[in-house]
Amino acid sequence: MARYQGWFAFVLALAIAAGMFLVRTPLQLGLDLRGGSQLTVQVQPAGDINVVGDREMEAVKAVLDRRVNGLGVAESTLQTVGTDQLVLQLPGEQDPTAAARVLGDTALLEFRAQREGTEAKFRSLRQLQSQARAILQLRKDQRRRGETPDELNLDDLKDVQESLGLNTEGGSDDEPLQTLLDQADDELLTLLEPAALTGQQLLTAGRQPLQNNPNSWEVTLNFNAEGAEAFADLTQSIAGSDRLLAITLDNTLISAASVGPQFKSAGISGGAATISGNFDAQTARELEVKLRGGSLPLPVEVVEVRTIGPTLGAENIRRSLMAALSGLALVGVFMTVAYRLPGAVAVVALSLYALFNLSVYALIPVTLTLPGIAGFILSIGMAVDANVLIFERIKDELRRGNTLIRSIDTGFSEAFSSILDGHLTTLISCAALFFLGTGLVKGFAATLGIGVLLSLFTALTCTRVLLRFLMGYAGLRQPTYFIAQGQRPSTTA
Amino acid sequence: MAASILNTTVVLRLPLSASRQWVWLISGLTVLVALVGLISCWLNSDIAAPLRPGLDFTGGTQIQLERDCGESCLDLKSIAVSNPVQSLTLPSEDDEPVPNLRSARVQLLDGGESLVLRVPTLTAAQGQALIAAVEPIAGPFVSGGQSVDTIGPSLGRQLLRSTLISLVVALSGIALYISFRYDGRYAFLALVALAHDVIIVSGVFAWLGLLIQLEVDSLFAVALLTIAGYSVNDTVVVFDRIRERARAEAGLGLSTQVDQAVSATLTRTLYTSGTTLLPLLALIFFGGATLYWFAIALALGVVVGSWSSIALAPSVLTLWEPRAEA
Repeated sequence: MARYQGWFAFVLALAIAAGMFLVRTPLQLGLDLRGGSQLTVQVQPAGDINVVGDREMEAVKAVLDRRVNGLGVAESTLQTVGTDQLVLQLPGEQDPTAAARVLGDTALLEFRAQREGTEAKFRSLRQLQSQARAILQLRKDQRRRGETPDELNLDDLKDVQESLGLNTEGGSDDEPLQTLLDQADDELLTLLEPAALTGQQLLTAGRQPLQNNPNSWEVTLNFNAEGAEAFADLTQSIAGSDRLLAITLDNTLISAASVGPQFKSAGISGGAATISGNFDAQTARELEVKLRGGSLPLPVEVVEVRTIGPTLGAENIRRSLMAALSGLALVGVFMTVAYRLPGAVAVVALSLYALFNLSVYALIPVTLTLPGIAGFILSIGMAVDANVLIFERIKDELRRGNTLIRSIDTGFSEAFSSILDGHLTTLISCAALFFLGTGLVKGFAATLGIGVLLSLFTALTCTRVLLRFLMGYAGLRQPTYFIAQGQRPSTTA
Repeated sequence: MAASILNTTVVLRLPLSASRQWVWLISGLTVLVALVGLISCWLNSDIAAPLRPGLDFTGGTQIQLERDCGESCLDLKSIAVSNPVQSLTLPSEDDEPVPNLRSARVQLLDGGESLVLRVPTLTAAQGQALIAAVEPIAGPFVSGGQSVDTIGPSLGRQLLRSTLISLVVALSGIALYISFRYDGRYAFLALVALAHDVIIVSGVFAWLGLLIQLEVDSLFAVALLTIAGYSVNDTVVVFDRIRERARAEAGLGLSTQVDQAVSATLTRTLYTSGTTLLPLLALIFFGGATLYWFAIALALGVVVGSWSSIALAPSVLTLWEPRAEA
């Protein structure tokens, strides 16, 4: 008997500890329960790298981590999923547009000098581009005001475009213009020397509004010692000539500037430069964040964006909690009616079970998602099954005329093998789902798996200890508290 | 423990072996109807898969909006939203082609209180533009009550692949475990019962896909995996009893042992299924729309799973009985 009092104290202490832990450590709720955005990016193999390995993933993650921190969303998390994916969670963020843009770009920044003897062509390409951009902007503004833009008229661009050998065939709406811009971009790149300096030599990046026009911003760059030297050499080589210094981002020309003759002797020293290429406050900030984070070693693609509003999350929580509680209440009523005293004990054990489950979620921690809650509710079913198996065995023993205590002990030991088999087979599928499944399948497997393990403990320990502890009181040692009078052989009292 | 005591208390409540033909007929017909559903789905040019795949598998964008409309919610017809949406032109972004909205689908749930739009993959900005375009027709929307899911097509294939792989691994693991704890026959039968359950539940959803255009999502895959686990769990307990009877009453024929074991576990199986159904029914009636079909799939699986573990698996086991004893 003393043995069961010791165990009883242990279970009680465990319950109190779990309760206190749960009060201090709040449960982590998934984005589907509290609202926010989730972006999944996939890393693409490129160049010499055919398979994305751990080292590449780490490098990509480091860059994206810095960019995400630059975004300044509280509590954002970036996690590697599977072999080539990263999941970014932004709690509370309702508009993932900026995040998608910042994550997706490679941000390969290059400083390149213009080739000799290409001045005329370079100039006409730039002119063509700015005209095309102006038309595109005009049409965009018209659409925003709800007007239908005129039929696209490219006659003005025709001469210069033909002299450059670009074509605008095919496509509808703005497509010819877009094609033209792309072709001009590619053409411009062929007029540049290889990169003398890249974003890798950047020390830091910043941004500031232009003095003469506060709505227009520029991005400031500071190079490290090696970069400062390369920049001085680069500027010296083209100073005073008609050749321009081109700055390209992801193989698109974003800025081109001339270097004055005063830098002929030593180039621009000091290791600082600015890019002023048509930025507003928002785009300047995004470029700054990308440059600070460094360029990605491999290109990435945003493959999934999920956004859920906070009230939708709260509604989900409320409904699922309601379902869990009402389900539990019904199970409790059923157990007490069907199994009397042991049924009531099982209700206490199942409440402990729920408490232990929640505190394990907080301890590990498990981020609770909607499928996770479903897994928890289902695991309640399995926990009840264990109790039902035991109580049916106890009833069997009592029907055979065994004494109460002996029936309880035999009931537990007889039920053990089937409880173990049932729980282990469920655990096997949970393990397969957890290690091989993705996203919400993982969340479901985690809560169901924890539930199954804890159910083994509560059914075999808590229920038993509580039941045996109560049997210490003579008033409760009544077979009729376990089974209807008529079902027992009358010979044993 | 004396075998004679055990002997006296086993009450035969279910003469299963005698009516095993009926069990096989019922299960066979149900599986047949399910298979017809799966195959018709596959042959349907609109679906071309055993089940109608949802956004999670095909890729695309799904926007769900909670409407702030009260009584007037019922007045809106989905066609009033789908027509303007299908003719909408979205802003282009970067140099990507503008997604075509002609295939857009609109659904009204919860008596018109929430609106679901399914469109080809949109960027985040295009999604916001679409919501802004729908607002004058179906708005006002509850602020913070919207969700936007965009899934690339490659992700859907990955999900399908990883789900199938985990299913195969889980089943092999379970089969190995049962072969180890019992023997190969039991493992085979557990898998037969499991296939029976999974096929019937999938068949019902295939029919629902044909009749009410219900799509299956990744939660359905989770449900199937859970049903697989539950089915085995349920069957194993019955097997455990058959093995126990076989040890205690080695002299009896296999049919009698099976009948006794099924009778002895009948209450347990029904009680357990009942108590598992209770939280699921609570989810169906009180849970949100997100988990509605998930809970229905699970509830169906519990019912079918109980049938296969009480009736199908044990009755097939009696086939192994030597003819002379039958």
